Parts: sequence; structure tokens; C-alpha cells
Amino acid sequence: MDITSNPSSESQIFDSLRLELRRGCLIVAVLAQLRVEHYGYTLRKALADQGLAIEESTLYPLLRRLETQGLLTSQWREEDKRNKRFYKLSSEGELILAQLLAEWNSINDSVNNILQNSVLQTPSQR
Amino acid sequence: MNPTNPTIDLLERYLQAIGQSLPAATREDVLNELRANLTAQIDDRAEELGRPLTEPELAAILKAHGRPEIVATRYLPQRSLIGPTIFPFYLLTMRRVLPFVVAIYFIANFVKIAATQHGLSSVAGGLVDSAFGIIPVLFVWLGVMTILFAILERTYDKFGKEWCLDEWNPAKLPPVKPQGDKKQRSLANRIADLAFHCLWMAYIIEVPRHPYLLFGPGASFIARLQIGWAPVWHTFYVALWFLLLIQLGIKIANLFPAIGRFSTPLDLVSKWFGIVVAGWLASVGTYIVATGPGADLHKLAVVNHWMGISFKLVVAFMILDLGMEAWKYVRPRLPTARLAF
Repeated sequence: MDITSNPSSESQIFDSLRLELRRGCLIVAVLAQLRVEHYGYTLRKALADQGLAIEESTLYPLLRRLETQGLLTSQWREEDKRNKRFYKLSSEGELILAQLLAEWNSINDSVNNILQNSVLQTPSQR
Repeated sequence: MNPTNPTIDLLERYLQAIGQSLPAATREDVLNELRANLTAQIDDRAEELGRPLTEPELAAILKAHGRPEIVATRYLPQRSLIGPTIFPFYLLTMRRVLPFVVAIYFIANFVKIAATQHGLSSVAGGLVDSAFGIIPVLFVWLGVMTILFAILERTYDKFGKEWCLDEWNPAKLPPVKPQGDKKQRSLANRIADLAFHCLWMAYIIEVPRHPYLLFGPGASFIARLQIGWAPVWHTFYVALWFLLLIQLGIKIANLFPAIGRFSTPLDLVSKWFGIVVAGWLASVGTYIVATGPGADLHKLAVVNHWMGISFKLVVAFMILDLGMEAWKYVRPRLPTARLAF
């Protein structure tokens, strides 16, 4: 199929691939951000302020899933006269985050190398 | 909660809608957390505007948060009836077993109709019933298979490692198909071919008893001419039945990919047998005989002569067709050097 002639199909493919690419990165970002305690809304704001906007309906369930996996701890606490659920990275979460960051850096380095090499190659060398 | 405040009322209605799709065990906890997050967001927005939010502004926030049913689904564990690990095996099993189900169904129904139904209308009715009857059979089979694989999916986490799904031997892969075999007919096409062949056989059963199936309204006119079939047709009828049974076997075999590889040679054999039968028929010379004193013997001789010529032409076309089919089959298998002329 020739996607170049169909902008909507091209956009759909990009959206789908972007979603896949972001999925794993979001988890790393959430874990990293939760080295400091946050409740759902402030966590979302903190991530958005640093250029990583996440939908509420994605972030809040993700927090619960990560807590179920033991990577986060949570507690209900009153703040500004309202009860809020605060999340923080657990000790197990710290270990997993370190491993994920190492993996992420390794992938990043590899992709950069591939990109640099492909730019350096002349068409006759390909 | 103050139900008289329209904005709070809208928020509570939204949370209630989410809660309806959440399990009771976690419902309150999830809703309290959502309420806290949404309230903080609403407060932030109100602070930005310097006034309380209007109902449409709150509705916009809730709309951006997501449809209640979808939001609730994200809090549920990710579930699939048959997951990505089991699904390829499910699909493979369905494709492998489907031809058996269809073949067993049609053979069983054909035998049942042949044994119990008499007369054209009852045979035709039985065949039509069986053609439609396969639909619920396929649905039940599909349901049973899906339930079995859904059970496998549920037990995979516990026992999956013992099933060794990842273990395979490259040496056991089937040989590469010859170029000529690549365009294999679809399964639906092969099933339809089998069904039509069964109908054709039913038609052949009924023709001797009901000549109008062959001649249409002209059957009564032929009856008045005091002519009838020569004895040669009895022998031909037996040979035709033998040929149809061979073809039935080939069409059933075609449903199975393993045997389907031999479908072309088997087709060639059946065509060759058809040529033998037609050739014998062409050589006989007498096809219609007088059955009463009123028959015009001269015209009868002319009709027999032209029928003989027609059969000879049919045999010539059949031989040509067999030759072309045989060449198509043999050509890709010949050594390339021999074709370089």
C-alpha cells in the first residue's frame, strides 16, 4: 500500500507508532518523577511542565498498576483540607528504575550510533 | 456532597457513571482518588479564571478526562479471551480442523440423504437443508473451540511452561512448494466445490428416473416418438458413478493441505478416466433405439450418427484439456536446462 498518497493513513500509522514508543518511556518518566512524593494531579502537572503531557485516564490507572507491581507505595493523607492519595517510588521501584534507565540509555546510544552511521554512509556504500 | 450545586452534581454524576463499571472491591477507593484529582484540577482552573467554573467549563474538563466506561476499563486488569501467546495456535488449529468438520458434515449428510431420502424433491430438500444446516454446526464448533482455548489461556500462566510452545524443530518444516503450486485455491472455494459436486451427484442419481431433468419440457415429446436409451447407457451410468466417486474423494482430499499437494495429479488421473469412458461411448455408435413400431428408423440413424460425432468432438476437447493441464503441471518440474530451447 502506498501511504505517501494518503495523509490520514500516514497520520494513523504515526500515531500508533508514537503511542508504542511513548508507552515504555512514560513508565520510566513516572517512576523517575515519583522519587519525590506526588498525588495524581500534581504528578501530571509536574510531568507536563517538563514536556511530557499524559492523559489523566492513562496516568491514574498506571499509578495503581505500578503500585500493585510493588514499584510504588501510596498513602491517603489530608492536604489543603482534602484527602489525597500520595504516591512515592518504593525501594523495589528504585532498583527497577535503575535497570530501566540503563536499558533506556543503551537503546538511546544504539539508535544514535545507527543514525550517525547511516548519515555517514554514501549511497554507493549502501 | 451538595446536589444543589450544579458543578458538584455534574462531577458526582460523572464519578457515579465510572463507578458502575468498576468492581465493588476497589470502587470507593478509585472514586475517592479520582474525585481528589478532579477537584484539584477544577480548583486550579477556577484559580486561573478567578471565579468558580460554570457547568459547561466543568463539562469540558470531564469530557477531556474521558468517557466514563473507558476510564473505568483502564482501572480493570487487562484481559483478553485468548491472548497473543495462545492466539496463533488457536488460529492454526481452527484452520487445520475446519476442513475435517466440513468434510465429516457433508459426508455424513450425503450418506444420510442417500440412505433415507427417495425421490427428487426429498433428495433436493435434504441437500438444501444440509447446506444451510452447516451454519449452526460451524457456530457450535467455533464456540466450543473458543471456549477450549479460553480455558487454555486462563491456565497458561500456571501450566504454560510445561506445554513447551516455544519448542520447535526447523528440520521438521515442510519442503518448499514448487512454483506451480503457489496459487492454491482458497478453502471457501474448495468447500463450495465439494458442495456443488454433491449436488451434481444428486442430480445424476435422479436423471434416469426423471428424464425431464435432462430434456426439460421436451421429455414428453421424446416419449411420444417411441424411442429409448440404448443398453450402452447402463454401462456408461455405472462408469460415470465410479468417476463421480473418484472426483468426490479428490474434492474431499483437496480440503486438507497435506493431501491437497497431490490434487493436480489426482485430477489428471480422473480426467484420464473420463476420457476413457467418453472414448468408449464415442466408439459405440448406437445411443438411442426404437421402442415401438412408430419410430422413424431413418431419423434415428441420423441422430445416432451425429451423437457419435458429438462424442468424438467431446473426447478431442477432453484430450486437449488433459494435455494442457498435464503440461502446466509438469513444466515447472522439468530441469531448467531442458526448457532453454
